Amino acid sequence: MNDERFGVSTTLVVNGRPVTRSAGGHVTLLRWLRDEADVLDPKYGCGEGVCGACTVLVDGEPASACIVLAAQCEGAAITTAAGLLGDDGEPSPLQRAFHEHHAAQCGFCTPGMLMCAQAMLADGTTRSRDEIREELHGNLCRCTGYQHIVDAIEDAQGAGR
Amino acid sequence: MFVKPFRYVRAASLAEAAHGLREADGGARVLAGGQSLLPMMNLGLLDLDAVIDVSHVDEARGVAEDDGYLRIGALTRHREVQADPLVTSRQPLLASAAGRVGSSRIRARGTLGGSLAHSDPAAELPLAMIALGATYEVTDGTATRTVRADEFHVSYFTTDLAPDELLAEVRVPTLGPGWGWGFQEVSRRPGDFAIVAAAALVRLADGEIVESRLALGGVSERALRLGAVESSVTGARAGQLEERIGPIEGLDPVTDTSATADHRRHLARVLSVRALADASRRAEEAA
Repeated sequence: MNDERFGVSTTLVVNGRPVTRSAGGHVTLLRWLRDEADVLDPKYGCGEGVCGACTVLVDGEPASACIVLAAQCEGAAITTAAGLLGDDGEPSPLQRAFHEHHAAQCGFCTPGMLMCAQAMLADGTTRSRDEIREELHGNLCRCTGYQHIVDAIEDAQGAGR
Repeated sequence: MFVKPFRYVRAASLAEAAHGLREADGGARVLAGGQSLLPMMNLGLLDLDAVIDVSHVDEARGVAEDDGYLRIGALTRHREVQADPLVTSRQPLLASAAGRVGSSRIRARGTLGGSLAHSDPAAELPLAMIALGATYEVTDGTATRTVRADEFHVSYFTTDLAPDELLAEVRVPTLGPGWGWGFQEVSRRPGDFAIVAAAALVRLADGEIVESRLALGGVSERALRLGAVESSVTGARAGQLEERIGPIEGLDPVTDTSATADHRRHLARVLSVRALADASRRAEEAA
């Protein structure tokens, strides 16, 4: 068993780039990304897995990074909102749809919203507005009233993006 | 979120995890999906020396059918239980309950055994297990024993598990011919824990209830089977449930920020009627 107290060496492939950091076994994936790896797009909101601001993809699956330990994810591919950018640094079609539909106001929930939406697009299902809302119910936004976020996701999936 | 440091221990098997629990002498908890454990750690509700991660263990996964039962590995995730063809066809009440747990993110990581061992009195899965008459296989790495769901769930976040035991498998009776099911819940938002939830099974003959099972969550220190209500609806037609079911006795609901104790008592009766009515309707459709 691996049971080092302070300093579990963990390697994660963050947005395509392998990153190795040593941190306590109690360190969550969110703290590991933000404090150890300087990946700042996932946000700390509630710490309980209910607000969705820290949503990232772990091997393609959406997860609340605040309630997953970094050490649990050893070797996994982690995708954050920054990882959606194209190789040329241009926004992805989903990010562009968020921009076009003005689907952000203060922006704090946006990285999590994008990852939740990305997971929806990735499974290939075309969802109704109600189904999009159903999938989004674990991501809280206190500014927009969600309308524009649903518009953006509907547009992104409708365009076959 | 300033968490007191703890050790992270990755176990390769349930037996290794049980060994780790014994060595930690009460100072460790099992991390399965972690979707309840880590929020509790973040909120400072638990003080642990170590968590023992079983999420990479190969055993105790998946669903199999075995002579009137579904055998479900404790490490099977909610999303897998919710969508498994055996569960949706042989025991749809359980699929419905699993689909009500948290958000899709939580269902992608959270496990059946984790939720049951956590034993929140308002959680959907312990309620479903008590309604269905499930049994659990529990292991300490060398010996295995069988515990009935209604004996396993003792009180708030308290189970019959010994400090060095883990849940390995859940055995759920399949829905018998002529039976229908109902699951009703009131929560503030989709995916929240229930304020009150009701799970019901009904068997009809000539449109009358001849056998039923009813359990409620969120009204006591654990989910409760309600034998008195079951007796009172025997012989009833679906349309008579409202008059047959009076105020429900034996509940011990609390007042909290979600609802008053009186409101929970009210919901207990209303949701019992609705769950039994849904079960009757489905039994009729199945006939």
